Amino acid sequence: MSHHQAVAPKPADDPAFTMPALLSGMSLPLCIGGLIALVGGAFLGTTSLGGKFGMSAYLTAYMYAFTIALGSLFFVLIQHLARAGWSVVVRRVAELMMVMLLPLALMFLPIAFSVWNGSLYSWTDPGYQAEHGVPAAVWAEKIRWLNPQWFTFRALLYFGIWCATAWWYYSKSQRQDETGEVTLTESMQARSGPAVILFSFCTAFAAFDWVMSLAPMWFSTMFGVYIFTGSILSAHCAIALLSFVLQKQGAIRDEVTIEHYHDLGKLIFGFICFWGYIAFSQYMLIWYANIPEETHWFAGRYPGFSDTFGPIAIALMVLHWGLPFLGIMSRHVRRRPWAVAAWSLYILVMHFVDLYWAIMPEANLGAGGVVGVISSLLCVIGMVALMLGLVIVVGSGTRLIPVRDPRLGESLAFENI
Amino acid sequence: MSETKPAPKTVADGNTVHGVVAEFSDVDSLLAACERVRDAGYTKADAFTPFPVHGIDKALGIKPTVLPWIALTAGAIGTCTALTMQIWMNGIDYQYIISGKPYISLPAFIPVSFELTILFASFGTFFGMWALNGLPRFSNPMFTSPRFDRATDDTFFLYLDAKDKRFNEEGAKALLGDLGGAYIEPVVEDDSPKKIPSFLLIAIAVVIAFSMIPALVVARMRVTKSSSPRFHIFPDMDFSPAKDAQQISTLFADGRAMRPDVPGTVSRGGLDWDVDFQTGIDMEKLAQVDAPRARQLVAMMQSDTEVVEADGEVAGEEEAVKEVVEETTEEVQADEPSTDEPSADEPASEEPAAEEPEAEMTEEAEAPAEEEPAAEETESTEETPAEEEPAAEEPAEEEMTAEETPAEEPAAEGPSEEEPVAEAKTEEPEAEASKPEAPTALAPASGPTVDTTPWLTDNPLAIDAAVLQRGQQQFNIYCSVCHGMNGRGNGLVNQRAQRILATTWTPPSNLHDATLYQDVYPDGKLFGTISNGVRKMPGYAAQIRAKDRWAIVSYVRALQASQNASLEEVPASQREAIEKKQSEVKAELEKAAAEEAAKAQKTAT
Repeated sequence: MSHHQAVAPKPADDPAFTMPALLSGMSLPLCIGGLIALVGGAFLGTTSLGGKFGMSAYLTAYMYAFTIALGSLFFVLIQHLARAGWSVVVRRVAELMMVMLLPLALMFLPIAFSVWNGSLYSWTDPGYQAEHGVPAAVWAEKIRWLNPQWFTFRALLYFGIWCATAWWYYSKSQRQDETGEVTLTESMQARSGPAVILFSFCTAFAAFDWVMSLAPMWFSTMFGVYIFTGSILSAHCAIALLSFVLQKQGAIRDEVTIEHYHDLGKLIFGFICFWGYIAFSQYMLIWYANIPEETHWFAGRYPGFSDTFGPIAIALMVLHWGLPFLGIMSRHVRRRPWAVAAWSLYILVMHFVDLYWAIMPEANLGAGGVVGVISSLLCVIGMVALMLGLVIVVGSGTRLIPVRDPRLGESLAFENI
Repeated sequence: MSETKPAPKTVADGNTVHGVVAEFSDVDSLLAACERVRDAGYTKADAFTPFPVHGIDKALGIKPTVLPWIALTAGAIGTCTALTMQIWMNGIDYQYIISGKPYISLPAFIPVSFELTILFASFGTFFGMWALNGLPRFSNPMFTSPRFDRATDDTFFLYLDAKDKRFNEEGAKALLGDLGGAYIEPVVEDDSPKKIPSFLLIAIAVVIAFSMIPALVVARMRVTKSSSPRFHIFPDMDFSPAKDAQQISTLFADGRAMRPDVPGTVSRGGLDWDVDFQTGIDMEKLAQVDAPRARQLVAMMQSDTEVVEADGEVAGEEEAVKEVVEETTEEVQADEPSTDEPSADEPASEEPAAEEPEAEMTEEAEAPAEEEPAAEETESTEETPAEEEPAAEEPAEEEMTAEETPAEEPAAEGPSEEEPVAEAKTEEPEAEASKPEAPTALAPASGPTVDTTPWLTDNPLAIDAAVLQRGQQQFNIYCSVCHGMNGRGNGLVNQRAQRILATTWTPPSNLHDATLYQDVYPDGKLFGTISNGVRKMPGYAAQIRAKDRWAIVSYVRALQASQNASLEEVPASQREAIEKKQSEVKAELEKAAAEEAAKAQKTAT
């Protein structure tokens, strides 16, 4: 809105838009080291604590990277849907993370394979019904949805939709970097509505399939939203953090300003509350109704019931919601990029704790002792390093902001009131 | 526009000058001017623009607002209010269990706390903004300037307030002139009349007057009485159909108005597996002496549960029940499958009520004398069959009346020997079904010979003043009508029965009879009698709760003690008074005796 400090975009080939050399050099070590850590972590868990623990640790790490990539896809879609001007300068960062859905589709293979060899999901165990005394009729209905063929098909469907969406938006945005066609923006906007609808369904059902079905007899219609809240929250944090790192390394310094961090901070603040709201709503309804078929999921994660995950539940309440809620509440914090980046890093850690708390109890081994914790951490660190390396690889081949986006000027001049 | 400019008002008009305003044609010149004004040290300046201008607060040197702190404080007050309100209401002032949660149940309070936090924060922000801006304000001196209308259209204004310490009219005008402002003019007080128009006053008065009507109506209703029916604003709750227990209802599929307990659940306060407490019998000992009867007693007490298990609806549940009934239920079911269903369907306590009158009828109708020989025969052989022959419908009665009226014994046996002939034709199945169980739970199964039932010898309640008072209260309600307030068996019903010479009347026992003392008539047996009845006396198990029946037992013991206490049993504090009185009476008697003796001597001499 401000007229007196309009900023002209730099030329498209400005060095500020290329991946800083330090980061480019780190891509290969990150990829290789990450892969080693990931495989090592899963191997450590599998050999020392059993296949189910190893796969659970892998799934936790996978869901961590996956939710961030998925949240980035949603970020891009929602910016187009809302025709947002402010976010153009950080959209490319989100797009880079969004296209990680393609390698992540490959990384899903171990999980898809586990359905067939029965190493992760207990519904693949033929003895589950008898062991848990599930009525035959109920089990028959469960198995109609939860069976390896249909599960695999659904996963293919979800990834088909996500990858197609992500790739389409990424390639259009790339093309606009060269041509500057306004029509590309228009077509991206036009498709964002249906894309968001498809995205929502896929996300909810993927959450049901991949995480909720770890406890096959448990159900919560809110679970899809629960995973989504963590996804969109962590994506915003990752965008802020990655932008901050890129700026520290000398890229996009003049483009991403305090104003953008301020807005990202506001959204992070909002999604922290959203996470708390959804997580508590899911808990409270189950707690209030107090029906055994629903409460058993929380029983394994409840203070006084589980020595490992009970304290984590309390910690999530205080550290995933309470502390950052107060921490990012102030405008003064949100207008300091380093503070936003620091809180983003903190919430990204908490997001892992959240997923760990949701997934690991189903392995029935608690944290698995020191070896289990090391295994879980190796997996997630490896996964993050691998994805970060790939983001850098992809980012090195392109520009770090959409240089010819029709709204770039608006974004550069963006100011909060 | 400039042509139509009116002559600027001056101080000479006598109106107070509020400040000086200048016009700017674009944002950039306004922002530059704002910065200059700020740098010149003005703190009370304001800008008016047709649209929000980024950075103008900074250019004007406006400090960050305290509004966020107001919002935060209001939000925190909202949280505290909600929590305090809920904890006080539901946890302290009006404790009410909702959904089986504790009174103070934080998760349940969170939604309301969340909403109130937002509500208070919103109000705090909204009204805080008003307060900080001096709103509501119906007029502003700025409005007196006709050019100021364009602040909502295409012109930018910068205003220097006279309240600023640096303000002087000439200096301000000069400053604004230097900054490139056009049409610099002082802002003077609005000279339009300050009085509120009379029509507005009248309208306000009328509105206020009308708004009082509902309050007045309510106030009047509260102090007057009316015989007309209540006015129902929401009639649904006032006219909901209320059904009695045995009525038919079209609302439920089974057509019953009364809702049976949900299978597998226990009603609140209904979880009582203490069979000893419920029967007055020491079950462990009974199991040794008479195992089948012990099993039956336990099974009958849990007959509800048995229905469920028999129906096979709840399988695998009720582990606790199984443990209790463990050895009993299964065997009972196996041994006597026919007893299962009737015992479940019909409450145990109804049996004696149904059977007893019949027994009494026959007793009266048929001459007892005739049967006496037969009875004596049975009496000799009774010892063995009494246990297994379940037809002992009135065993307790026999025991009680044994000493007083032996003639009644055969009458009691009457139904078992003669009735079946008559009854068998008509209601054979029911008679058969009810017979085996009737004696089990109800009457202490004792022949006229020896009561082998291992009654509890002591009251399981911890006796204190409250229990005794409760027992007295219950005794006076239920027992005293026959047994009398003092327990001598001369209550109002008995008096009336004697007066009208009621032929069927069996006089109630005198509770002070030595045969009813604890050493021969243990507490458990007294409890059993209260619960199941004896002779004419009906069982009170359905009316009086077990705990209260035990309280009555304790009170009866107190009554007995009151008429038969030794001095040692009297509390020390009262003993002295009694001894004093005793010695007085003694002295009096001795004196009287001495006088009498003297008199007698006198007359003798």
